[in-house]
Formats: sequence, C-alpha cells, structure tokens
Amino acid sequence: MDLFRRWLGQPSTKDSPEDNLADADANVDTKPAIGQQIQDTEQEHHAAARENPNDTEVSTANLTPQETSDYAIEGATRPLPMEAIVSSTNVHLRFGQSTDTGMVRNNNQDSAYSFFVTSRTVENHPDFGLFIVADGMGGHHDGEKASAITSRIFASNVIKNIYLPLITGQNNADQPPITEALIDAVHMANNEVIAHIPEGGTTLTAVVVIGNLAYIAHVGDSRVYLITQNDLEQITRDHSWVQRMIELDQITPEEALHHPQKNVLYRALGQSEALEVDAVTRRMPANSKMLLCSDGLWNLVEDDEIYETIMNHSSHPQEACDKLVALANTRGGTDNITAILLEIPGS
Amino acid sequence: MSETQQIAGMQGNGREGGTLQANTILQTRYKILGVLGGGGMGTVYQARDLNFPDAKRLVAVKEMQNTATNPALREAALKTFEREANILATLSHPAIPKIFDFFHQNDRAYLVMEFINGNDIELLLSKTKELPIDKIIDWAIELCDVLDYLHSQTPNPIVFRDMKPSNVMIDSYGRVRLVDFGIAKTFVDGGKHTMIGTEGYSAPEQYKGDVTTRSDIYGLGATLHHILTRQDPRMAPPFSFGERPIEQFNSQVPRPLIDIVERALEFEAQNRFSSCAEMKAALEALRKPAIDLPNLNLTTNAAGTAAWETDGSSAIEPKWTFKTEDEIRCSPAAYNGIAYIGSYDTNIWAINIESGEMVWKFATEGGIASSPIVDPANKLVLFGSDDKSFYAVDARKGGTKGGYPIWSYATKGAVKSTGRIAHDHVFFGSDDGFVYALAAASGRFIWEYELSAPVRCRPYVTNELVIVGSDEGEVVGLALSGERKWTFRTRGNIIAAPFVDTIEGICFVGSADHSMYALDVGSGYNSWRFRTHGAIISSPIAHEGLLFFGSTDGNMYAINTQTSREKWRFTTEHPIVSSPTIYEDALYFGGTDQYLYCLDLNTGKERWKFKTNAAITSTPCIADGVILFGSLDNTFYALPLVG
Repeated sequence: MDLFRRWLGQPSTKDSPEDNLADADANVDTKPAIGQQIQDTEQEHHAAARENPNDTEVSTANLTPQETSDYAIEGATRPLPMEAIVSSTNVHLRFGQSTDTGMVRNNNQDSAYSFFVTSRTVENHPDFGLFIVADGMGGHHDGEKASAITSRIFASNVIKNIYLPLITGQNNADQPPITEALIDAVHMANNEVIAHIPEGGTTLTAVVVIGNLAYIAHVGDSRVYLITQNDLEQITRDHSWVQRMIELDQITPEEALHHPQKNVLYRALGQSEALEVDAVTRRMPANSKMLLCSDGLWNLVEDDEIYETIMNHSSHPQEACDKLVALANTRGGTDNITAILLEIPGS
Repeated sequence: MSETQQIAGMQGNGREGGTLQANTILQTRYKILGVLGGGGMGTVYQARDLNFPDAKRLVAVKEMQNTATNPALREAALKTFEREANILATLSHPAIPKIFDFFHQNDRAYLVMEFINGNDIELLLSKTKELPIDKIIDWAIELCDVLDYLHSQTPNPIVFRDMKPSNVMIDSYGRVRLVDFGIAKTFVDGGKHTMIGTEGYSAPEQYKGDVTTRSDIYGLGATLHHILTRQDPRMAPPFSFGERPIEQFNSQVPRPLIDIVERALEFEAQNRFSSCAEMKAALEALRKPAIDLPNLNLTTNAAGTAAWETDGSSAIEPKWTFKTEDEIRCSPAAYNGIAYIGSYDTNIWAINIESGEMVWKFATEGGIASSPIVDPANKLVLFGSDDKSFYAVDARKGGTKGGYPIWSYATKGAVKSTGRIAHDHVFFGSDDGFVYALAAASGRFIWEYELSAPVRCRPYVTNELVIVGSDEGEVVGLALSGERKWTFRTRGNIIAAPFVDTIEGICFVGSADHSMYALDVGSGYNSWRFRTHGAIISSPIAHEGLLFFGSTDGNMYAINTQTSREKWRFTTEHPIVSSPTIYEDALYFGGTDQYLYCLDLNTGKERWKFKTNAAITSTPCIADGVILFGSLDNTFYALPLVG
C-alpha cells in the first residue's frame, strides 16, 4: 500500500480497517472452473469486506490481493496514472547471432536475420523481436539466393503486417491474427522463391517475440530449442525423411545421424505453392533462452553440449553463439552453421 | 525400366502460359488453341489437328523444355524422351490416352496425345462436397485395371510412380483416364538437400529410389484415402494416413472398403496387395452385393446404428424432471445437494438433487436468462433478471420471510449476463452497457465500467484481470480496479463467456462473427483465430491442450489451444448455443435439435444422446452423480451420470 501511495505521490491516507482485512485475507482462487461446475468450494474463507456505514468514500480495499499484484487497487474510481503501472525496469531481451560457412563448403547458403525493438512510452508497447534462420539448398548459388529472398520477404511482411499494426494500436479482428500473418508471410516468401529461383529451395525457421510470448513459424529442418534452467527442449519438428522414419519407429535416432537419406526433406520453401507451415506459440519463462539454428550446428553438436555452452560457459548470447559455431567447426564444420540465441530477462 | 519413366534434365519451363502463343502452328499440322494446364512436368496445350480440315479434331500437346546445359546431357535427355514416347505409343488401354505423334524443335520436345474432355479428380474434389461411394469404387476398379495392364508389360513392367488425384481424369463418359504419363518427377537433386517429388502420395520405398509395382498400389491407396476423407496428404507428414482414419472423416465408407485402402497403404511393401489384380478382385467383391441386393450392407449398417442409438437414449431414464412454467434458457448450478435453475417464468427454482422436490423458489419481476451462480463463502445464490436487477438470495432458504433477497442491485437494463464470483466480489454485465463489480456479501457497489453496448456475456476473472465483451464486439481486459488495460474488437456480438488458460496466459473469446480468437491475456494481442460457419454463442473451455466449443453452424469443435488445429468436430443438425461441460473423459452439451449429447472427449464420438421436447440452450452441470440441465420445453432434467 505504501509503495503504491509513493508512486501516486499522494500523502498516506488514513488507514481504514479494510486495508488490514485485505492484507490478511488475500486468498485467491484462480483455478478455471470447468463448465458450470462449481469448483470454488475450497474458497471457504470469510468474506473480508463488510459494509462500513461510516465509510462515505467508496473503498475497494480488498479487491486486489496484494500478493498477487504489483500494485494495490486503491482508487478504483480514481483511474491510476499511467506512471504507476508502467514498468520502470530497463531490462530487455538480449540476443546474439553468428553464422559461418564452415570448414568444407565454399559459400554460406544460410541466411540469418535479427530485428529487435524496445521502447518506453506511456503507450507501454511490449518489446518486439523477429529472428530468422533460413538454410538454402540448390546449386549455382540458388541456395543462398533462396534463403536470402526468403528472409527478406518474410521479414518485410512480418514488420508490415504484425509490427506496424501493433505499434499503431490496431488490435481488432480486421487485422489478421499474429499466427495467420506469420503463415501468410511464409507463403509470400515461398511464392517469391518459386517465381525467382525455380531450382532452389530453403528451410525457414522464425521466431517473433512480443513481450515474453514467442510465435514460431517453421518449415524444414532448422530448429528452435527452448532452454530453461533444467531443460533443453526441441520445439520444432524436422520435416525430414529420417525424422519421419524415427517417428514411425523404422529407424533409431542414432541410425538417422548417418543415414544416406539424412538430407531428404519432405517440406521446404520453393517446392510447391501448397505449403503447410508449422506454427506454435510458447510463453517464455523468465530467464529462459531460445536457440534458432541450422542443421550445420545440430548435426555436429549434441543437445547437452548446446545446453552446457549456453548455460555454463557464456555470459552473453553473442558469446554463446560464437562458441557454438566454433564448436561445430572443430567437429569438421561439414555444413554452413548458423545460431541465433535470445535471452528473456528475469522478472 | 525406371529410365523410361523419367526424362532427366527435362522439365516444365514455366508456371503458366507456356512459351507458345495461340495460333502458333507446330510441324505445319497442330494449331495451338490455348493452354490446358501446366505444372512441374511442362505445359499442356490444346491444339487442332489441321490434317483433318473438315472435322474439328482436337489434340493435347505436351511441351517439355530441355534445360540441361551440357550438350551431351541434352542429347541423352532427348534420346530418353524418344524412347519413352515409343513405349507409350505401343500401349493400348481404354484408360490410357492415345499417343499420336512426337517430335522436337527449338530445344523443346512435344508429345501429341488424345485430347480428353473432362476433369481431374483433384478438381472434382474441390468442386463437390461429396462423391458417391459406388462411383469411387468403380474408379478404383478401373484404376487397378489400368495399373495391372502397365505392370504386366514385358519385358519390363511399367511403374506409373505418380498416382495422385490430379493425374486421374474422369472423361465426359465418366470413364477413368490416366494422364501425365511417365514424366514422373521423383527426385530433383538440389546439392546438399534432396527434395522429394510428389510428397504425400508416394510409397516409403520410393524415397529410397526403390520402386516396384507395389509402390503404385500405395499411391492408389493414398489417392483413394484422399478422395474418401478429403484430407490432402500433401498437407500432412509422409506416411501419416494411419493418423487420419477414414471412418473419422467419412462415416459413409463401408468397413470392407476401408480395409482395402488400409491394406494398400501398408508401410511394408510385402504387406500390401501382391498385385493390382488382387486389389481389383477385392474391390469387385465389394461391388457385387450392391448389384444383386442394392445397399444391403449399408441398410443393415444404418439400421444397426439407428437401433443402437434408440437403445442408447431409451436406456437413459431421468432421475427426475421438474416442470417450470416457462422456457428454461439458462444453465443450472448446484451446491450442497441443491440444484438451482432460472426460468423465463420469472422464478429461480431450488430443487433437491436427490429427490427432485422443490426446496424453494424466488420470484423476480422479469424473465430469467442469466444463470444462477453460487457463492459458497457467503452461502448465496446470485443471478440477474430481465427486471434489470441483480439478486443474491440465501442458498438454503431463498428469499427472506417477506420474500426479499439478501441484497439486490438495480441497473438500468435487463441483466442477461451471468455473474462471476472471484476475490469475494461478483462481476456481471447489464444491457445498460456497464460491467459491475459488487462486494459479494453485501452487494455494495465497487466500480462500474462502461462499454458502449449491452453486456450479456459472463465475465472471466483472473488474478489480475476481468475480461468481458459487449454486443458491439468489443472485448476489454480490465484491471481488478476497473481500469482498462487492453481492448480487442471483433466484428460480432460477444455472448459467449471468455475463458482464460492461466498457465499459458491465453484468453479465448468466441464472437458472433463466427470466429474463436486466442488473445495474449497480458496485452490482448490476437495470436490466432479459428473460423466456423456460424455465430459462436457457446462458451469455450480448455482442457489438456484442447479447446471445446459449439457454433451455430451445428458443430461442436475440439481444437488445439496452441496451434488452433482441429482435432475433431461433432456435427448436429441444428445450431449449438449450449456450452460444453467436461466430466472425466466425456463432454456434455445440449443441442437446439432437442438432444443432450454425451461425447467421448478424445475422439468426439457420440456415446449417447437424450431427447427432450424442445431446443436446449442450457449448459449441463454435473453434481452428486447427476447431469442437470434445462430445456425450452420448460423442464429441468436430472439424468443419472453415465459416461
């Protein structure tokens, strides 16, 4: 309460009995009820607020349990000044990006793209980030052109159809939802590749971060991992023939690593206008990290090595990306290597 | 034989239009009229054969451009093409288009073929809603026949390699014709990654370049699966037909036909039919009874199912029913052995769940569309009335001696919104356009928030926010202090209650604009939407990663909360406005077709249904081993709980 009053710059008002009651009775049930079933029966505590005939002011003392909110709810009928609720923290998402031709190939067909915006105004826009890894395929420079066109077309469409409506406050059903806009952007990139690089193709794995929500669009065998304190989780599913064989219990993951069909994809940009795009949304916990990488990294560096490098041997995402790329190169660097690492700040 | 089916280095040159203009004359004989189609394999033109000046003889001309840059390779490609054309020209089968001529000029090779007046099956699928099963069986038999013909060629069997709906045409006589012959593009080597050709229809061994006649059987199975389920395999991972059982998408398909398609789709080639002749025999056996005794199997099936259904519903006897004096539009609540329901007869009724006897009733001065809710902390039942007030009465006794409520709060419009108890407060909307927050125990006014249109949906309350929508489609996230945090506008009324998945932080909002929206609960940003074909009035609930809700398009949907992908839908004949209730592994809801349905939660399959005498808009409530719901037939029902 006092903190709240300090924010408001108001003198401490007389303590009403409700204040104390509210503090003592901050038991909250947020378990979503299923259907019409009454599940609130565990909420058997006494009602805190009883009408106080002497209280002429409207009091809302117990409406927000203090422990569940950053600020108290006093002043329900006096709208809160914006300053009171805008987070004053200057901690932001951090990211690193590293890409390398590797030790064997003579050109880098991977494309990497990072875009990050943070602002502080009363309008309180969340941080926005767009991160792309595209791994091109095809001879005669077709692969690098396909991945370049893809990241350019995809990025410009995401910025136009997601980022700009967001900062201009157009949150309504006339705008496509974020996942739909993401999938549309993949299709636009796909059409460009088909039209201009008929012999080339590319993977596309992209993450749009808004606040702590990650929207992921994915085609091919580049990957996204979510790394938390205890866990490294692969979020994307490789659209490769060997992965499908693993899913069908036809081969083991160990056999897949050296399988002759290891590089066969059943889904990629630049193949057909009908393209199915995987789209998932994940909320990133505080202090979690998200890694986007091409198969040049994950083919040569094991999951637990990735985890170790990121969590225990790097102080900044850029350092982690550089170390991961270097590690793949020490293993032979048989392919182009790309890594982008995002780090969501703690709360 | 494989090289006869592939023309290395030869590919279609353009996506549309081709390189030839209309009226171009090839070989002083074929006058180009226009483009019939194009794609990966090359452009196909319609042309007129000028050697028959008095008859309008139409032909199809397929053009392939030689893209190989190395002269030796170019020469080899042409040789392959010629060899291919020669083989095709010797084939003679009613389902194979006749080859009239082939030649090459200007680095391009041309194949002149019979012009087929008809549509390919892919087009038929997009143009029709349903194809008769008998017709599909006939096509399958004809396809087996032509594939068997190709596989019987000597010295080498010809494998078609590219069975898919777009390569099968149905001509103007209704006969099957196999097109896009032998130009099967299977592997295009792209350096580091190898891409596959026709994803979705090809057999597993085809990806290893190991092609046999049984690969065509798989392709035919895949084609039939697509036709029967209307699920495009190109949109799914390879070899995932087993994850899309035919019966789940098309209840018309007889079991023996499903068995045939599933055998054709066996992962291991040796488990499929040994030949197309064997598969054809199986299909013909299927057709025979239909000719001798039309639809015998299907009739028996239908009767069997119907009988089971009747049994299913007649087996359920209500534990009790309670007749009120007008329609029951709202949903019941239950607490401590008592069920509460509002009726348009202006009363709230309290019924003993065990005996079905009335405990008390409480009269308001208007119809009741708002559902009663229970505040266990204060032992109150709270509800709104069309008389513009919101009431709280004693859960055990109803009104006081003089028939008064514990408290009531007058708004300026009918209260059709159902209240929500949270944080010791009650939140509800009114037709006067306001959302109200009152202290639950006393009815003391805390705050109001004005939306510009009637608020009829039930607010959802989290630890931080009150989420509510209006009749103008506006959805707001209000801090518990009543201050707005975010707004999202849909294009239709919000009548369904929002639902929040508090773990993932997603708020689901259904709108009369036909869509279900997923919003980030913190910002209101729209993550995805799922479109139905009717207004969404039914309130969604999420359970283990799935979101369940009904639509006035007659369907109950189960969709993935993360991806919005549909897991199942259950179709009724009439709009669904009742909201689903989940209990254990079953989902319960009412239909305006007068039935209460019980579905399997995981599959969406009907377990039983129970018929009332009018539409059900009420959402079932499950308590004390009974299913409670009201119907527009004025009756309050209690059914024994059977999953």
